[in-house]
Amino acid sequence: MYKLNQIIQALFKLLLVLIGATFLLALILRLLPGSPADFYTNAFDEQGRQEQIKSLGLDRNVFSSYLHWLFDFVRGDFGPFFMSGGSTRPTSTIIWESVPRSLLIMLYVQILSLLISIPLGLITAYRADKAADRVISTALFTGSAIPGFALALALGYYLGVRLQLLPTLGYVPISEGFGEHLKHLVLPVLSLSIPLCASYARILRSEIISTLRQDFVTMAVSKGISNSRVLVKHVLRPSSTSLITTAALNMGGLIGGTVIIDQIFALGGLGQQITFAVFARQYLALQSYIALIAVAFIIFTVVSDALIGIVDPRTRNRNA
Amino acid sequence: MLRNLGFFSKISFAWLSLMLFFAIAGPLLPLPDPSEFSDALGAGIFTSGHLLGTDLNGYDLFANIVVGSRNSLFIAIISVGLGSLLGGILGIAAGYLRGKTDYVLTIFFNIFLSIPNLILSLVLIAVLATSPDPTQTVADSRRLVVIIISLTIVIIPILGRITRGSTLAWTNAEFVVAAKSMGMKDLMIIRRHIIPNVLPSIYAVAFLAIGIVIVVEGALSLLGIGVGQGISWGSMLARSQGDLEYAPTSLFVPLTFLALTVIACNQIGDALRQHLDSRESKL
Repeated sequence: MYKLNQIIQALFKLLLVLIGATFLLALILRLLPGSPADFYTNAFDEQGRQEQIKSLGLDRNVFSSYLHWLFDFVRGDFGPFFMSGGSTRPTSTIIWESVPRSLLIMLYVQILSLLISIPLGLITAYRADKAADRVISTALFTGSAIPGFALALALGYYLGVRLQLLPTLGYVPISEGFGEHLKHLVLPVLSLSIPLCASYARILRSEIISTLRQDFVTMAVSKGISNSRVLVKHVLRPSSTSLITTAALNMGGLIGGTVIIDQIFALGGLGQQITFAVFARQYLALQSYIALIAVAFIIFTVVSDALIGIVDPRTRNRNA
Repeated sequence: MLRNLGFFSKISFAWLSLMLFFAIAGPLLPLPDPSEFSDALGAGIFTSGHLLGTDLNGYDLFANIVVGSRNSLFIAIISVGLGSLLGGILGIAAGYLRGKTDYVLTIFFNIFLSIPNLILSLVLIAVLATSPDPTQTVADSRRLVVIIISLTIVIIPILGRITRGSTLAWTNAEFVVAAKSMGMKDLMIIRRHIIPNVLPSIYAVAFLAIGIVIVVEGALSLLGIGVGQGISWGSMLARSQGDLEYAPTSLFVPLTFLALTVIACNQIGDALRQHLDSRESKL
């Protein structure tokens, strides 16, 4: 049985992390040289400026202006995004536009990575230290070490510019045609997936190798169950806990951490909005973006813990 | 220890040594001036006089790589060195003292780790290397310092968490418990028993961290907030990103050097970790 106490304690820690991360940002942003008025506002006259500052709670000290932002954030009000030239957009509309894109891309990346890495993990573990394993493992190692933007630039050049096979810029929503949508996402998804599925397969391989040494596997084999059936039915499930944890940890990073891939392929996801906010000096919007990533990080951590409990019942009594 | 390493680790070691040699002895090598134009624009590799070709401005790519290795490795080694030192101290404190110190430090590490590392350094650089007047730019030397500081801040929690875990494991080891029960002072135990045992895992992660820092530096340059006018592999990438169609070599040469260096760092870090694992399983 789950211990309620432990869950509450774990959630409390995660909440502390969330508040800490956003407060840290608020603090860092207060270190900016000059007054907040120079950065956060875009009104032309002094009076308009003062009003904007007041409405954002920036005339108060760090703590109370942070609380001001926090209460707005919890209520779903992500603050204004001041465009140059005096116009203002609510940050929430930007979030509604970019987050679904990022989530969709993340979903494709995870599906593709898991689809490729699970068979590779099974093969390399089953043929551990044989020729096939050596070759695949070396390739996987190299794949996991290549920086994502190097892949993005190289793939973009060969597949996009040289062979003219795929578009290299922009995002097409599903509503404008699913084929076109997928076509625009092939390059970014590939350049995010290759390093990811390489590291997934490596994790799976080492887990499977240690599971294969356990008694219940010997038992299953001695009962005459075929090797492939033992691998898929008996070994894969208890070996997948580390993979689930790693995949969940990557989710948060993939939503906003793909800044550079977003930028290279001009996808308009949350990553690109983060860069834009940094350069437009919209630090309050930035604070909301990063808070969202931290929330996602926490949600996926909790979900993965629950998933592990379902996949591997042995962990349920273990201390969290 | 080098003798025990596999084939790939040896190659990686050789590659990193070569890069270090470039970084240290670069100016002494008989190479074209990295900031001098030549008539060959966008030449391919192995063109006469230009070993790795030139970019669209006619700059010699090999000379730029050699000069750039200095900035790229300098940033990586300093920030990882500082980060490992501070992260190591905090990690040992958390793992050895446990209790409240551990609780607070772990939450502190998790706070930093919950912000993706590229975004954290992006924000830090944006904040620390910004002048109040948007029309004025910040001096390059200050930029370099800011980049190193922000990358150090990114590295501290990564190293801190690993060191904490390793310290926790060693604190429970019998010889540490024995030393404690014999009345050995805590600082002495840490110096004699904890640090020598924790150091190898710090080394292993530090190599991985060097890889991370090189990638982040490249990414920052691609976003346009790298080392300013100075030459680094990242800034070479940023400069030639737009010339991809006309002079692909000017992009692929720095990309290859960067990727190979990161792969070499990962390979060595990984080999060190495996070496450690097998040592610990024998205990």
